[in-house]
Amino acid sequence: MTHLGTLALYLASLLAVYAIVTSLWGVRTRRTAWIASGAQAAYAVGGCVVVASIALLHALLTRDFNVEYVASYSSSTLPLHYTVAAFWGGQKGSLLFWALIHCFFSAVVLFQNRTRNQELMPYVTATLMTIALFFLGLLCFITPPFERLSFIPSEGSDLNPLLQNYWMTIHPPALYLGFISASVPFAFALAALATGKLGDVWIRTTRRWALTSWFFLSLGNLLGGRWAYEVLGWGGYWAWDPVENAAIMPWFTATAYLHSVMIQEKKDMLKVWNMTLVILTFVLTIFGTFLTRSGVISSVHSFTQSGLGPYFLAFLAFILLVSIGLLLYRLPDLKSANEFDSLLSREAAFLFNNLILVGLAFATFWGTIFPILSEWVRGVKITVGPPFFNQVNGPLGVLLLFLTGIGPIIAWRRASWSSLRRQFTIPLVVGLVLGGLLFVLGYRNYYAVVIFSLAGFVLAGILAEFSRGTRARQVMLHESPPQALGRLVAKNPRRYGGYIVHIGVVLIFFGVAGALFTIEKQITVSAEQSFAVGRYTLHYTGITEREDAHIAAQIATVRVLVDGQQIDTMHPEKRFYKKQNQPTTEVDIRPTLVEDLYLVLGSYDVPSGLATFQVFINPLVSWIWIGGLILILGTCVIMAPNPAERQAFALARTSADIRGQAVAE
Amino acid sequence: MAAKQSKFLVGALLIVGAVGYLIYTSIQETKVYYFTIDEFLLNRTTLANTDVRVAGRVQAGSIQWDPAALDLTFRLMPIEPGTIPVGALPPGVAVSYQGILPDMFAEGRDVIVEGLYTPDQQLVASTIMTSCPSKYEPEIEG
Repeated sequence: MTHLGTLALYLASLLAVYAIVTSLWGVRTRRTAWIASGAQAAYAVGGCVVVASIALLHALLTRDFNVEYVASYSSSTLPLHYTVAAFWGGQKGSLLFWALIHCFFSAVVLFQNRTRNQELMPYVTATLMTIALFFLGLLCFITPPFERLSFIPSEGSDLNPLLQNYWMTIHPPALYLGFISASVPFAFALAALATGKLGDVWIRTTRRWALTSWFFLSLGNLLGGRWAYEVLGWGGYWAWDPVENAAIMPWFTATAYLHSVMIQEKKDMLKVWNMTLVILTFVLTIFGTFLTRSGVISSVHSFTQSGLGPYFLAFLAFILLVSIGLLLYRLPDLKSANEFDSLLSREAAFLFNNLILVGLAFATFWGTIFPILSEWVRGVKITVGPPFFNQVNGPLGVLLLFLTGIGPIIAWRRASWSSLRRQFTIPLVVGLVLGGLLFVLGYRNYYAVVIFSLAGFVLAGILAEFSRGTRARQVMLHESPPQALGRLVAKNPRRYGGYIVHIGVVLIFFGVAGALFTIEKQITVSAEQSFAVGRYTLHYTGITEREDAHIAAQIATVRVLVDGQQIDTMHPEKRFYKKQNQPTTEVDIRPTLVEDLYLVLGSYDVPSGLATFQVFINPLVSWIWIGGLILILGTCVIMAPNPAERQAFALARTSADIRGQAVAE
Repeated sequence: MAAKQSKFLVGALLIVGAVGYLIYTSIQETKVYYFTIDEFLLNRTTLANTDVRVAGRVQAGSIQWDPAALDLTFRLMPIEPGTIPVGALPPGVAVSYQGILPDMFAEGRDVIVEGLYTPDQQLVASTIMTSCPSKYEPEIEG
């Protein structure tokens, strides 16, 4: 099987080269047969990668420990679902997984556009296959996943225990999907630049792809946070670790793009900016992969230090060179058709939102690579940690939250005073009353007060929009309120889905602001001792031990009391993974809407019977996950089939075709 | 027209300026020097009262851990012995730490210690990071 896998990878590389050459040659010589052959080859690349993936899965599932990858990332006692997850648990497998998803997306794009966008498609094929070729090249020559050992180990060294977790099995795939789907808008952007067909068509064709990418990036980041919260056991969900930064940077630029593209659709402006954002998002996904693979920056998540760094850097340089070159070449054709009118307009709000999002991406980038930069420039490695990112991104985030309350409801072009009064009275009153109330109640953490009152401001604005629209339908069309609300959203899913996403974002902000009130306590106790944290009294009863072939665990029992009444029992664990010879901490979390009680068994000293606990009270964390769910729901609403959008798209395409024909004739 | 556009330019520059200012000041306030233990030992006299991050290896037999008080002390040593001439430098640096031990902390492990280097030549750690195990080549019994 593994020989077949290796063979399939070599064949896939050759086919990718063939697809690139025939696509570009076909365009040059205007021979559609060549172009069609290129597309067929791209499908075949996908087929080969599927074969290689099946071969690796087969090796994992049959526990063929002679294969180095299988021996390194699985063992005979590893449960089935984690054995499957080991496919993307290590460096080589994850690269193959990457290639697999990329080829799948490429095939979907080719199939969707088999009769459309005929001028763009050869370049799209060539771009997508160049990206595929890069990963295939790594798999063939640098990190062959089917490499065999000179001997047959009796047992594998198991998957890293930190990865043996429910969230970990789904978090990397979600993130990969987000990273990889970013290459589709990128491919179309390059095709638009190469052909000079810079109108609306490429943007409308890739809108869903950009949304899909954003959807999975959001999901991946949320799941990553959830994983860190449950598994890493330091009490938080986000630490501005380089790998987390790698995942959030493209999210920032993709978010910026989803907003600024509306200005291009409405006003035919910001074309260069949008191109730049699409290219930047893709470059950041590759940069992110580079960060995680190269080991240039120390991180808790780094894969094995492999020699991959230079290859990624070279590929990055190549992408940047081609993209910037094409962009400069077409710069004269990318002039804006309009100008900005007023600072009090949706365009202005979107423009500033974009600058802040790109600012967030840049600050995160700067902080992440600062150790390398400072070493180059001054010869000393200077690192910055979470305090840096919180200090910079915190205020920028607050500013962004403020604009979230303005952008969606302010008028296009130029807002009149009367429209401002009509739309902003309710939100402003809600925000100010909320802020005042918190102040009177004795909250003196101004950061938090500002975020909470801004959250009220934004939510009130969005809910007022929903109620205005619903009421209008009730009056004009005599619909019942739920019916009116449902049709309102269905008629314009893009707008109202966007509002729902914003509600999710506001709730996430709300939950994150809860971190300003975190309480932490470390304490060592012996059995049947109690201690107080916040409003809770924790009573430690003792340790029980449990052991199976895979894991040995020490499980503490802690009774949770409030006002002398027992409300719960918690069981934080210390585990020992036998194959990897590694201890891990299993936290126990008691979530409520108000606060999470987060309990860590820090250590258990067998001779003295002393147990050390670390306790966190994390206010409002649940709202991050609730906000995340609402955000996901809102994105699904936006992506729902939309007749109005399809019509506009058809119109854009026919007008582009007519123009194209006119030029040809 | 030009006046109208310049308003946007001013707004944009304000945001860009704010981002730049935030980055600059925050780096000044939160920066931490990162050294390998060898570099740290070479420069130690100039580093008193400085926040540093030092990468080194936990010396075998040097760990003292009081689980009741959560007090830890150990010695941080060069990762490859013999990189520094014998006698030229003190053999590593004493580290003290208050808190829960990271799961992977053990003798002979490579760790990164972040903390304050005090004038009495102690590194008072605020965080101890252990290298991720997946970085190690797996040991496979033949």
